Amino acid sequence: MSVHSETRQLLWVDIPSVSAFDRRSDDLDCDKPAEALSTGEPAKVARHDVPAETRNRGETYADTRQALESGWESKRRFDSPCAELAGFSPERAGLPKTSAEDADRYLEQRGTTRPWLEVARRATPESRRILAAIDQGAGHGHIRHEGWATEEANMRRVAYLEDPAQLDASKRLRSIDGLKPNNRRHICAELATRITDPDAFATAYARGTDQFEVRAALSRPYDRDSRPEPVRVPIAELLGKNGHKHCTGWQLEPVAGSMDAAIENRYAWRTALAKERQPDVPRPVARPVPTFEGGTMLFLIGHNKEQDSYEITNMYPEPRDDGFPRAERPDTGGRPR
Amino acid sequence: MREFYWKQHPDGPFVTLIRVATTYLHPEADDLESLQKLARRENDEEMHTFKAELRKAINDPDQLPDDELSKHVRYEDGSPEAFLRRLWRDLYGDEPIDAPEHA
Repeated sequence: MSVHSETRQLLWVDIPSVSAFDRRSDDLDCDKPAEALSTGEPAKVARHDVPAETRNRGETYADTRQALESGWESKRRFDSPCAELAGFSPERAGLPKTSAEDADRYLEQRGTTRPWLEVARRATPESRRILAAIDQGAGHGHIRHEGWATEEANMRRVAYLEDPAQLDASKRLRSIDGLKPNNRRHICAELATRITDPDAFATAYARGTDQFEVRAALSRPYDRDSRPEPVRVPIAELLGKNGHKHCTGWQLEPVAGSMDAAIENRYAWRTALAKERQPDVPRPVARPVPTFEGGTMLFLIGHNKEQDSYEITNMYPEPRDDGFPRAERPDTGGRPR
Repeated sequence: MREFYWKQHPDGPFVTLIRVATTYLHPEADDLESLQKLARRENDEEMHTFKAELRKAINDPDQLPDDELSKHVRYEDGSPEAFLRRLWRDLYGDEPIDAPEHA
């Protein structure tokens, strides 16, 4: 297979299990009732008002696999604490002051050039205000880790290093970061995760801002060259005991039982494609994170746009730290493990 | 709950190296530029400790606690040794790793 055809194939999700799914969905006869064919009489088939499918095959595959393997319910809506969110102060989070009217105006003006704002339209007015304030800041959590980033986008991000924030499809295929200048290469850890509901995202952000350690980091005396260390907060503390059901993610499949080897393999595979040569390592594979129950929300704190205070620059869910294979290392002689 | 190494072992070995590397070099932070500026500060006690731990880790990577560094930073270099040597070059250029500390 040539490098070009390999790259073209990246346009499609083409791991073996997908092919089976795709074949079935391509078979136009598969939905014809066999009984109708055998009798030759028109069958009385109930008509359902099912909305037309708007997803492509890759999106359908990723959504279906996520639902099957993690139990994700795509239609589940988060019960938004509207009164609490109405009291959120963007300034306390290092963001520009934003009223409900400002937010609606901002979303109206920027919605077409910043497509991740589209999901704000299905959020409550209180959440819309928070999302509009976040979008005026320096952070990117709502761009890569919110409902706009689809299951397929996260699957491809963690497997192929395609950045969901990159709006140019050809650049996305070449792993060029969508938010950094000078066509920098996109990087990603072993997980690509998201909060699937815009109200849940806004709630986690607002409550996180008031969480003790996040608050302390945001209030720290500003230093242009340094940033506070990251903070983890239990998902349940931010979104309630069922909050984890609004989180999904994809994890890089370990190679030879090692996540380090999987990350090195992904880097080698990506580098080979970038240099237009045939990769001599296996194509990276991703799998859904089974559950976020007992998981945490990671807050990364960085510089605001004005570079005069700190801001939450990223926020995303992480599963419990008990499902990842560790690299084999020699005996550590009793040092912390 | 998933917890950071420096929270679990505040007095553990290489705690400053792992904390600072995670803060600036975790893939979702990816802020080498700020770390380079900090590394140039002459009177920053934390960065002196960081540099001493980095030097020690390069000279004896087996002393690093289990896979904490890779788990926190998720570098693409394949091994802690390769990552640490690249980090030294990024921060301190051609300065010899074995040079004595001034602090």
